Amino acid sequence: MTSGVRRISVLVLAGVLLAVIPGLAHHEILGKFDDKKPITLNGIVTDVDWKNPHVHVFMNVKDAKGGVLNWAIELESPIDLQQSGWSRDTVQPGDAITVRGMSARNGSRQAWGESVVVSKTGKRVLNMTATAPPPPLQPRPSPRWPDKQLRLGAAPGGAQGYWAYPSSTVLVEKGVTAPMSRYGLLKNISDAPKVAPMQPWAQALYISRQSRFLQDDPTFLNCKPPGGPRQFQQSEGVQFVEDRERQRIFVLIGGGNNNFRIIYTDGRKQVGQVGGDDDNPLYYGRSVGKWEADALVVDTRGFNEDFWFTNGGLPHTDQLHLVERFTRPDYDTLKYELTVDDPAAYTRQWSSEWTLRWVAGQEQPRHLCQENRP
Amino acid sequence: MRAFTVIMTLFVASLLSGATAVAQEGHPLKGSWIGTWGPSKTHSEDLLMVLNWDGKAITGMINPGTDNIPIKSATLMPDTWSVHFEAAAKDTTYTFDGKIENLAMHNRSITGTWKSPKESGKFNVQRQ
Repeated sequence: MTSGVRRISVLVLAGVLLAVIPGLAHHEILGKFDDKKPITLNGIVTDVDWKNPHVHVFMNVKDAKGGVLNWAIELESPIDLQQSGWSRDTVQPGDAITVRGMSARNGSRQAWGESVVVSKTGKRVLNMTATAPPPPLQPRPSPRWPDKQLRLGAAPGGAQGYWAYPSSTVLVEKGVTAPMSRYGLLKNISDAPKVAPMQPWAQALYISRQSRFLQDDPTFLNCKPPGGPRQFQQSEGVQFVEDRERQRIFVLIGGGNNNFRIIYTDGRKQVGQVGGDDDNPLYYGRSVGKWEADALVVDTRGFNEDFWFTNGGLPHTDQLHLVERFTRPDYDTLKYELTVDDPAAYTRQWSSEWTLRWVAGQEQPRHLCQENRP
Repeated sequence: MRAFTVIMTLFVASLLSGATAVAQEGHPLKGSWIGTWGPSKTHSEDLLMVLNWDGKAITGMINPGTDNIPIKSATLMPDTWSVHFEAAAKDTTYTFDGKIENLAMHNRSITGTWKSPKESGKFNVQRQ
């Protein structure tokens, strides 16, 4: 196979894979909109609210009686729209547009926009495209520090990049098949018992959250941090900053409220943060890590119960104990392996794993969920 | 003694009500609950429950203070979110049967009935 044919084959494969990636919203839109109630609206744009977490286009629409009503059309986030070629000027007040999408569950004049067409030109301006970088033709060796230890972050020399496009955006026990949306909404609620070995109360709570279409997710409702493994399943990705002098690794979270997590690699025991605040449970817990050959093994305890630690709403308690294993088999792949131990919510330990892709040459996107919050 | 209990209960309630409402996404019963149980000739109408979940059992206390009532046993039926508590005071026992309402909310509530050998009534508590 020639290099040209091979390149085309890789691109075609990437295109096929990307074509099956569903919408890019930051949370389960079915919590607010009903996919069983399609809607088409024709009208005039009155305003564009270009803010996180989702952009809104407001439009005047004539009703059956000849009156004019203002509708709010919710779209993807500014980051996702920009990556798909939008800008805040793509549609402007006064433009006539046609919107196709889903009606709001509560019957209000709101709709989720799946298609936006400018009436004058017939041009479809909302055309979401997944933007996962194509895989490299040949695996590149993992970058290393001068002492040969693996690097989790960028290579030396000021190269930019971050980790994103997780191979799974949902947490399911390894080996289990339970189809769900990328936000963790089960296709079939009867699969709930298979997702993880939950105690009866935890399973009932999980089913309750699922049956409400995940609309109570505190990460999106109240901008709570995506603690635990969820930080590695966000669309904005993560970045590792290794401070070897002070023996700690910072994990910068692109989504949520843009906070960070510290993994101490100085050999300290699980004794809390710098001040020793053992009684102060945290969204990201307290993490101590050590290198075992080319694997960073991280032990984390001390979580609070104020957030969902997975997309999809698997419950946890303050007894949650995570063991994470990070490896970088090649330059562009981060392998994440996880063991969940929470005896107050699950009947036994269980594990899962996925990979993330290196996004070279780009700054980590910053999604600010604090915008548009009361 | 009754007046003291009322004062102490209201004092604790006032402290808790001033706290920032914090979401609690773990076991649905865990937390502090404030409400009423009455009418009664032997206790005040104010009710404060402090409940915990250790992974195996629900434990807790009613009206912490000098006249506190330990919860001897508690069960949660997650298929209906029904609860059953049995508490033993110095001179009597109480049984509570209720149901969790607004499960998804941090300020969810439990509504139901209580009874002792001599009295019975309704109770309602809201998670703080």
